[in-house]
Amino acid sequence: MSICFTRAGLQTSVQDCGRPGLMHYGIPQGGAADPLAMTLANLILGNVTNIPVIEITLTGPRIEFGCDISIAITGAQFKVTLNGNPVNNFETIQIQRGDTLDFAQLISGARAYIGFSGKMVVPEILGSSATHLISHFGGHRCGAITAGDSIDFCDVRTAQTARLARKFHLHYAPHPQFRVVSGPDKHLFDDHVIEQFYHTTYAVSAQSNRMGIRLCHSSTTTRNESAFEHMISSGLYPGSIQIPPGTEPIISFVEGQTIGGYPRIAHVIKADLHRLGQLKPHDKVDFHPVGLAQAAQILREKHQRLFELQQGLAIDSKVSLTL
Amino acid sequence: MNSFYSNTDPDSFGFKVMANGDCALDICFASPPSEDLSRCIIGIRQSIQKQDFPGLVDLIPAYQCLTITFDPLTCDRRLLTQQLIELAQGVIESPPRLNRKPRTISIPVCYEEVFAPDMHTVSEYTKLSREEIIALHTHPPYLVHMLGFSPGFLYLGGLDPQLHCPRKHTPRLRISAGAVGIGGSQTGVYPQATPGGWQIIGQTPIGLFHPARDTPCIAEPLDTVKFHPVDITQFEAIRQSYPRAKYREKR
Repeated sequence: MSICFTRAGLQTSVQDCGRPGLMHYGIPQGGAADPLAMTLANLILGNVTNIPVIEITLTGPRIEFGCDISIAITGAQFKVTLNGNPVNNFETIQIQRGDTLDFAQLISGARAYIGFSGKMVVPEILGSSATHLISHFGGHRCGAITAGDSIDFCDVRTAQTARLARKFHLHYAPHPQFRVVSGPDKHLFDDHVIEQFYHTTYAVSAQSNRMGIRLCHSSTTTRNESAFEHMISSGLYPGSIQIPPGTEPIISFVEGQTIGGYPRIAHVIKADLHRLGQLKPHDKVDFHPVGLAQAAQILREKHQRLFELQQGLAIDSKVSLTL
Repeated sequence: MNSFYSNTDPDSFGFKVMANGDCALDICFASPPSEDLSRCIIGIRQSIQKQDFPGLVDLIPAYQCLTITFDPLTCDRRLLTQQLIELAQGVIESPPRLNRKPRTISIPVCYEEVFAPDMHTVSEYTKLSREEIIALHTHPPYLVHMLGFSPGFLYLGGLDPQLHCPRKHTPRLRISAGAVGIGGSQTGVYPQATPGGWQIIGQTPIGLFHPARDTPCIAEPLDTVKFHPVDITQFEAIRQSYPRAKYREKR
């Protein structure tokens, strides 16, 4: 029981919820760049939480199936075909042995997820099957999938057919706004730099990866030359927006470094973090300030909506949806 | 928010608890990095671990700070802030016995030319000979203040000021795993092949990060590290005998 990647795609990897609780070793949580989309794939299939999925980035793979299995595709919208016929995101797809799934053009978002009604046979390293792409451990042979790779499956079953209500489909605008709270080093920035930060539309740089999302802008007014020397380094986790002296903002991402070296002007709130995983080069990004109490309220509201979504799907699932 | 809490004892550590994003709090200290401060930070970490607060995820020690990350849905930030202030004050007033005895870890380093592309730069800057640099670099016991930056990287304190040397203007795109370098007032070993700006003066044959092990890193905070020089023959012998991490064999 296996699947074979006859084309790999740009950066296709095995991911799950990652490795929380190891940052004191310098190990970031990692895992799916868009954990919400990942969890939805498992939810549609009635899987338990944290069953590993395949994460696809910008260009997708072609997969030949050596077994019958049910799958669900979530996250970024690609033109996807099964044996040449279009298939949709956010619903169960019943696969038969010998079928070919092909990811063509990307339509919106950056990362798609394939969930399976079975378990990929990949080693658990430090409690997770997630691929740490920057440090080369975990996942399928410690890195991104390459053309010709096969992954074995066990405990394969047939999932009942389910479809996510249209109102819950995730859409990814090419110009999203992210809500942020003040960063711990905000006091090191001049007021006009902070003002400028919130009034600038940044573009996502092609230099971005799972470690950090680099932003760029034609004007250089948000550059910050002075803030560096008085900062106290502390824990750095996904969402932290650093501005190194003389350069442009970097948003810490799922495989980011665990201790900060540069002043942090702001921090993307937890409720919006999953959308960072859908940013692609040249997307435009705005930041909108909120308070800490408001950030907590937004997160509670989002979870309420996820709870409704789960009820609406009416599947006997052991997944608890969380961001 | 900007004033430091402190006790009446002027020698004790003053600190403040502040937000680090919406999912973390920092306990920050005004004092410069020191062994005593690191002991205090690790003591606070130990006390937090004992308390078993609900919703905590990571406890990340740094030179002058302990970061506590949490899930805002199960953990109230204001309540946690108050609990952390009380807990930290308690630890500062009566430091707990640390439940782990620090160890000394010996790291073999080959300083020979083939592994030391920046030895001449450091030599020129410090006006020291290669032999003097090796003697000064292998002399002190270095304190592990914390781990971080990348998996298994050790932040070491104790580099001889004579060896302080600025980073390279243009970072190298690839530094091999195990490279030993000096960057400003710091020295350390790169656990993975990464880009980096430190001046490279040697190479260790041992691995610093073993993800397939339950204890993936070779040291913990408050351990000490000693570098000892080896020649190329010894380097090769150690490299051959050293169990290579599984993840490196596969690729």
